[in-house]
Amino acid sequence: MEPTEHRSSAIGPSLDQNALDSLQFNEEIQHLMTLPPENANSFTALLELPAPQAVELLHHHHHRSPESNCSTAKLVTAKADGHGLHHPHATPHHFNPGANLTFPSDISLIERAVRFSVFAGINNSDNNHNDNNNNNHKISSKIDKNNNNNNCSPETTGSVPSNSSGNLGKVKNEPAESDSDNNNPNSPQPLDIKTENQNQKSAKRKEREKKGKAATKKSKSGANDSSEDAEKLPYVHVRARRGQATDSHSLAERARREKINARMKLLQELVPGCNKISGTALVLDEIINHVQSLQRQVEFLSMRLAAVNPRIDFNLDSLFVAESGSLIDSSFPGMVMPVMWPELQAHGNRQQYQQQWHHFDGHHQPLLGGAEESHNFVTPENSLLSYDSSANSATLHTNQLKMEL
Amino acid sequence: MRAPSSLKQEFLRKWILGLQICSSSAKSMSISERKKAIKLSADIAMASARNGRTSWSRALIASASKDDNHGKLFVQQILGSDCERLTKISTSIKRLRCKKILKKSSGTIIRRRMKRIPDKAVASSIAKQMVNKRTQILKSLVPGGVFMDEVSLIEETLDYILSLRAQIDVMRSLADATEMMMSC
Repeated sequence: MEPTEHRSSAIGPSLDQNALDSLQFNEEIQHLMTLPPENANSFTALLELPAPQAVELLHHHHHRSPESNCSTAKLVTAKADGHGLHHPHATPHHFNPGANLTFPSDISLIERAVRFSVFAGINNSDNNHNDNNNNNHKISSKIDKNNNNNNCSPETTGSVPSNSSGNLGKVKNEPAESDSDNNNPNSPQPLDIKTENQNQKSAKRKEREKKGKAATKKSKSGANDSSEDAEKLPYVHVRARRGQATDSHSLAERARREKINARMKLLQELVPGCNKISGTALVLDEIINHVQSLQRQVEFLSMRLAAVNPRIDFNLDSLFVAESGSLIDSSFPGMVMPVMWPELQAHGNRQQYQQQWHHFDGHHQPLLGGAEESHNFVTPENSLLSYDSSANSATLHTNQLKMEL
Repeated sequence: MRAPSSLKQEFLRKWILGLQICSSSAKSMSISERKKAIKLSADIAMASARNGRTSWSRALIASASKDDNHGKLFVQQILGSDCERLTKISTSIKRLRCKKILKKSSGTIIRRRMKRIPDKAVASSIAKQMVNKRTQILKSLVPGGVFMDEVSLIEETLDYILSLRAQIDVMRSLADATEMMMSC
């Protein structure tokens, strides 16, 4: 799936959309780059220093080329090439806002550069994710002072649009599925001092995002709380809440966490006694206990059957097999009905029983556990289930009787 | 949600196929062997009742078909015609995921060494560690769990719990019936 060519032309059709976007990026970056010189030297200074290092990182990617980075690095270089840069090395030394984008037009590099500079400036002991967000806040506020407003169009990534103004720009959201596709659940947690790793990841994610896996993103947008989107892009747009970072990483993380939380709620409802517990670890504890108890029950039951086994002939099963042909079309009660049940007749509830059987078949709700377990909720299914087990046993019992007679 | 009664019927039907294999060699085995055979046949029947749609069922079938102890017999008997198709799917998926696990484990170890925890993040990191530990345990419980990421792990756990309950109900009713018969 990943092209191995460096030329953008080879990648062309898949990057058409990306080319368009990157053209728009070009304009924004030009904006960014033209404004700072008018103002203080801060932004330029910020950019100047990391620029060579950012491109160094890029080149570093290119050479090191771990499996998943390789393709992304190549894509980035391909992009850079596509925009008229012949050699990524040459650019940083000519950082000139007036020139037509000697800097690679990739917005990811800009973001990386900005973040890198902030990390360089701020105490390196703070490498928590929160600090990252704070830094981005600072960056965004700085840039806002420079730009005086939300200059950027909706495609810009999280570090640029201002959060505090409340007018939250649309931010590209990295698909959580790409994280899961990467099979690396730890990746959204930025644990390193080394920004290098983070930058790698950010580059990786941006590239993946730009490849525009429309299918996964569309399905994901259904699961996200997304903002209204004026432009139809194959990205998932998530509105960052007030006071939260608009960093694309944290958004992806948050979306993923919400996904996980939704499923955890389902599990909580399923496992008895979990509803009142709060806190992921404790809920997981309960779930683990429940699964272990279920597995133990299976063991015990199979032991019971094994103990009983040698004295029973498995003609029982042949009988079932013979009747299983009728089982295929009809339901369990259908099999049960033609059998004469001394017990049920003794109960005298046969009519009612049949009704409940039909009723039971109509239920399509999940099982609510055996009768022994104590449940908070007593529903009709529970009583029907107990009927089910008794019916099963009654069936077998009478079949055995038939056999032995 | 799938109808629970149809799941139970499916399970019972397939389990009976497996139990027939058991019965032929019933006299010669010890109790523990019998128990294992019964449990194995029940598990495979349960997994096959899912028809390869869930990950844990595929993992179960894959591990069972590699097993020496009658596993293959059960799989062949119970799955019947679907056998080759499903075993191919299961084993190929497993091979792919093994490689991913190797990569993942090496990456996480390195990252943990380099992390320095500032004071204010200690609580959250402790919480994360707790959750991670439990996630690991859960992964070891659910068949094929080690290959999954967190999101799909939770889905698989859901499905697995439902299947286990159905399995337990059927097995319990069978055990009750046979014991009832024995007592008479």
